Amino acid sequence: MSALVDVQAADGLPRSRTPALVGALTLLLIAGPFIALASATHWSNFHFAPGDMGSIAVSLGYSLISLMLIVAFGTPLAWWLARHSFRGKWVLEAIILLALLTPPLAMGILLTTLYGPYGPLGSLLTQTGVELTNSAPAFVLAQFYGALPYYVVAARAAFEGVPRELEHIALTLGKSPWQTFWLVSMPLARLGLAAGIALAWVRAVGEFGIVLILAYYPQGIPVKLWVNLQDIGLSAVYPLLWVFFLVAMPLPLILGLASRRQRLF
Amino acid sequence: MRIDYSIDHPVRLEVNFEVEGFTILLGQSGEGKTTLLRAIAGLLPAQGEPFGGLLPQHRAVGYLPQGYALFPHLRAWENVAFGLPRGRQRRAQALELLARVQLVDVAEHYPSALSGGQQQRVALARALARKPQLLLLDEPSSALDAATRDEVMAELISEMHEFGLPALAVSHDPHLAALADRVAVMSGRSIVQQGTPAEVLARPASAAVARLLGHRNLFTARVAGQKISGITLLRWEAVNGTTLRLPQQSGLAAGQLVQWMIAPTAVRLPSLESDQHHMDNPVSGRVESRLNLGAHFQVALRCGTERLWLSAPSNLVRHHGLETGREITVDLHSDGLLCWPHQG
Repeated sequence: MSALVDVQAADGLPRSRTPALVGALTLLLIAGPFIALASATHWSNFHFAPGDMGSIAVSLGYSLISLMLIVAFGTPLAWWLARHSFRGKWVLEAIILLALLTPPLAMGILLTTLYGPYGPLGSLLTQTGVELTNSAPAFVLAQFYGALPYYVVAARAAFEGVPRELEHIALTLGKSPWQTFWLVSMPLARLGLAAGIALAWVRAVGEFGIVLILAYYPQGIPVKLWVNLQDIGLSAVYPLLWVFFLVAMPLPLILGLASRRQRLF
Repeated sequence: MRIDYSIDHPVRLEVNFEVEGFTILLGQSGEGKTTLLRAIAGLLPAQGEPFGGLLPQHRAVGYLPQGYALFPHLRAWENVAFGLPRGRQRRAQALELLARVQLVDVAEHYPSALSGGQQQRVALARALARKPQLLLLDEPSSALDAATRDEVMAELISEMHEFGLPALAVSHDPHLAALADRVAVMSGRSIVQQGTPAEVLARPASAAVARLLGHRNLFTARVAGQKISGITLLRWEAVNGTTLRLPQQSGLAAGQLVQWMIAPTAVRLPSLESDQHHMDNPVSGRVESRLNLGAHFQVALRCGTERLWLSAPSNLVRHHGLETGREITVDLHSDGLLCWPHQG
């Protein structure tokens, strides 16, 4: 028993060893697939399939655009949900929950129904020359729908964590509500917002189900992985997967560390 | 400056009183004191003067909420500069304001690194930066520790006098009343008494006000009768039906229940010169406990079923050997007795 309690935690108090042991086991479970990937990759014959480079550019470029749109549209909604209470607010919450709940494949079908060439919005847009299936805008749209609700939930929590009293004080100090938002609410919510952006990025860049239905072309990395598997086999999946980690990891890693006030080194 | 406000929500409130220098509005928790301050600052809907109908950002008030609400992401000087217009002079002006509250040394510190008293003064400097016509302080003494509270508050009040600004502080702490220029007392959602601290402390308008002001010797008695010689007699039933004489009270009928009060300093021990034997209202009791306050003692006497506090110079207390358990007869000075018809 003494072996299980003889551990000093960060605060210097003796702690049980059990959580650390269980934690290590859990981490090992999470790391398992990547250990398998490392051992399955043919390092001596590491090469990319045709089109892999294009998919990297598509994923990186369009995910960044989606992310900007998500922040631009999601932040005001998150703010509004955090700061206003009214009868029937649960309906709005249910709508966001619905968007979170819908299986990606089903969401892709719903989006095609709405924005596809025969859909009510899609047919209108087609007349103005905007194709919302199998096009760059369709790709961005798919990622937007896939990640937006996650960002809204995280950003709302971030804004709810800002003491209202500080916003009120800013008003009594002569600032307009708009100035108060930029000078007080945003800086104080920044850590939570950073976590929300990281989460949205992860969702957007890895989105497969919606993209598969709505924007099979231009192929981003997740769809290209599927295509490589179908056309070539497993050996064509691993190299692209490594690159995916390489390009998708830095943004959420840095934002995640920032939101916990840690440094990389 | 006259404050005249009526509020419907979240509590119904109608107040009308004068703010002069450093004014304390005393009231129990739940009276709506914070609500009133927030209404004057424009942070909740209300009708009244001054500033009626203006948006909060257009009201010339400096609001110091409980806990001071400094911006945690800004340094002390940036907090002060928050309300200043943008420009090259901004930092210099902020430092000047910090200097006026003796805090230039901590200008670069974040609020989390400041003590309660320092945070309060930064909040004061921040409020002053926008040149308010009125300062609003919510429970200014609540976050200060007991040892330095009086000192910090006295300093704060003298700083406000220097700035020449009227300030309204709401509090439930009767201690603050003595430090203020003016006191208003709130009870039952309205102002029941106002005046200088000396007036209000000496003549509370009701037993409820006396209790808010921290008076301890509050008791009930029954009117025994009025004498033609201008004296009202009370029968203190809790202490073996002791009769108390006090200057004539109008509007009291024999048999009526009253609340009465006496300041601990008006409860007199027999004097050192043993030839003076006259007592207005002799009352006997047993010493229950005593507090040594240096030059003075506070002594609790058990009289019948009541506890009577007296405050007396140390030498007198020692002379009478007032140890716990000792029996003594004290005199309740007639002029120090206050009485009101019983309420509730």
